Amino acid sequence: MGIVTDKLPGALEKVPGGNVLVTRFDEIINWARANSLWPLTFGTSCCAIEMLMATGGPRHDMARFGAEVARPSPRQADLLILAGTIVKRMAPRLRTLYEQMAEPRYVIATGACTISGGPFIYHSYTTVRGADEIIPVDVYVPGCPPRPEQLFHGLLTLQKMIKEGETIREPGVRRKPVISALPEGVTMEDIQGEMKELLVKENVVDVHQAVDKLKWPSGTNDGS
Amino acid sequence: MTVEVSSLKELVEQASGTSGSPDTQEYFVNMGPQHPSTHGVLRLVLKLDGERVLRCIPVLGYIHRSIEKISEHMNYMNCVHLTDRMDYLSSIMNNWAVAKAVEEAAGIEVNDRIRYIRTIFAELERIQSHQLWWGVLGMDLGAFTPFLYGIRDREVLNDVMEETIGARLTMNYVLPGGLMADIHPNFVNRVKEFIKYFRPKLDEYDDLLTNNVIIQERLRNVGVLSAQTAVQYGATGPVLRGSGVAFDLRKDHPYGVYDQVDFEVPVGTVGDSWDRYWVRVEEMRQSLRIVEQLLDNIPPGDFLVKKLNSKIKLPEGRYYSQLETARGILGVFITSDKKDEPYRLHYRSPNFNNLWCLEPMIKGDYIASLIGAMSSLDLVIPDIDR
Repeated sequence: MGIVTDKLPGALEKVPGGNVLVTRFDEIINWARANSLWPLTFGTSCCAIEMLMATGGPRHDMARFGAEVARPSPRQADLLILAGTIVKRMAPRLRTLYEQMAEPRYVIATGACTISGGPFIYHSYTTVRGADEIIPVDVYVPGCPPRPEQLFHGLLTLQKMIKEGETIREPGVRRKPVISALPEGVTMEDIQGEMKELLVKENVVDVHQAVDKLKWPSGTNDGS
Repeated sequence: MTVEVSSLKELVEQASGTSGSPDTQEYFVNMGPQHPSTHGVLRLVLKLDGERVLRCIPVLGYIHRSIEKISEHMNYMNCVHLTDRMDYLSSIMNNWAVAKAVEEAAGIEVNDRIRYIRTIFAELERIQSHQLWWGVLGMDLGAFTPFLYGIRDREVLNDVMEETIGARLTMNYVLPGGLMADIHPNFVNRVKEFIKYFRPKLDEYDDLLTNNVIIQERLRNVGVLSAQTAVQYGATGPVLRGSGVAFDLRKDHPYGVYDQVDFEVPVGTVGDSWDRYWVRVEEMRQSLRIVEQLLDNIPPGDFLVKKLNSKIKLPEGRYYSQLETARGILGVFITSDKKDEPYRLHYRSPNFNNLWCLEPMIKGDYIASLIGAMSSLDLVIPDIDR
């Protein structure tokens, strides 16, 4: 049990008698959920090219974030990326798609159209002014259409929310929706640096240090 | 030719009432609006007998954003940016169509530099659009690798265009009276680099997909569209040319500087999915040829002939202008009543007419052939619904 207790401090606690009591299990669940988001292939218009095709391509590789397994069926997906305008005729279908997805389900609204109606907000008799009138939205990614990097920032925001947010003790409790725009003074290099740092932090294990941390019982070591 | 007009409800009632043979039963299947191979939110109501498609009825309106109605409340400069969102894969050509209509109506003559740059960008965009179509066609037929190849080369071209325009998809570069900005100093060199890069890649495309036995089996003699039917249904672009009709606005009614360049119009013979595929791949080669001829001869001059303010008023009357986008003829019909806003603005979009060719193409064929045939039409759904 040494590696588990070292790698995930606080997740497992020893209790008198030698048994292990799982106290923070939802942290592990949220970690797993956040890193394996399966999006639904749902694109209505222009944003679909940038959000689903360019991000799935070789340059902006969505597989780096564990979200490349695009599923055509809502039953198998747990992330709905709203790419493109939602019009009144599509609204009931979108609601159905959302309800067909299994819990936990997350929604990223990309592009101006799904946030507010975008360029079609005035004088349009069909556009739904914002997809959040139909389904709850977790993260908004502004742009017309947003660059693939912006979607990745939105995805990282969602992952952060999932990791901190919902617990198995309080199912269905979420944080308020956030906008994943770049705040002033923050550049893409900062985000890439942070991503790199996170990746290194989460995935690189120094073998020598890990071995040093292992506390072997004194009698089992053959050398001494 | 007789035209049957019947509602969807009547058709379903007819089918459920049919007795037929006891072995088979006709039934209806909805394909879409959420379906990965309809490229958007197109809904097809299929009348099937086993796996055979008896009827294929497209149902539209799932992405109807009332662009034409919004345009009636906008001045002519603002109308341009909505056309980006119609056929988003040929946005510069859409901008150009509106700009051309307004320029012809207002009597504005653009200089040679603007014409050259517009033509170069239109051809680059045509290549970009066909690259994406090529990748998606592979994906629709069950091969994921072409998608990666197509997107890889598309990103290279995207970078070149982004340096000048500043946007990746909805470019909004062509204005009535000129261009949004002058070309970047690096532009000519980078396009030359791209041509050098992409020529061998086209041969790689041939090795990967064109000469593949499975692809040929799935495209040859599937979805045959005769020349007569194509003309009757108003199909344009590669769909019409794949059926053997050599009609290309760039050749027959030249605009821009197409009359000064040397290029060929590829034409199919049978009219099946394979011919449409071949026409598009060949068009990429021809577009490279056109760009190559124009690059070194861009004349000096202003990038904006006349700075039009938002209050531009067209004289009263009706104006029609059309040009060849990556998918066919886009027509812009403006009715003006001397105000700064159009009284009516209608778009004749190529995808709408191409879509209706689907039923005569696929009648009696397997449902798996429908996917390949529809992919060879290269539909963009927001352009159909507008």
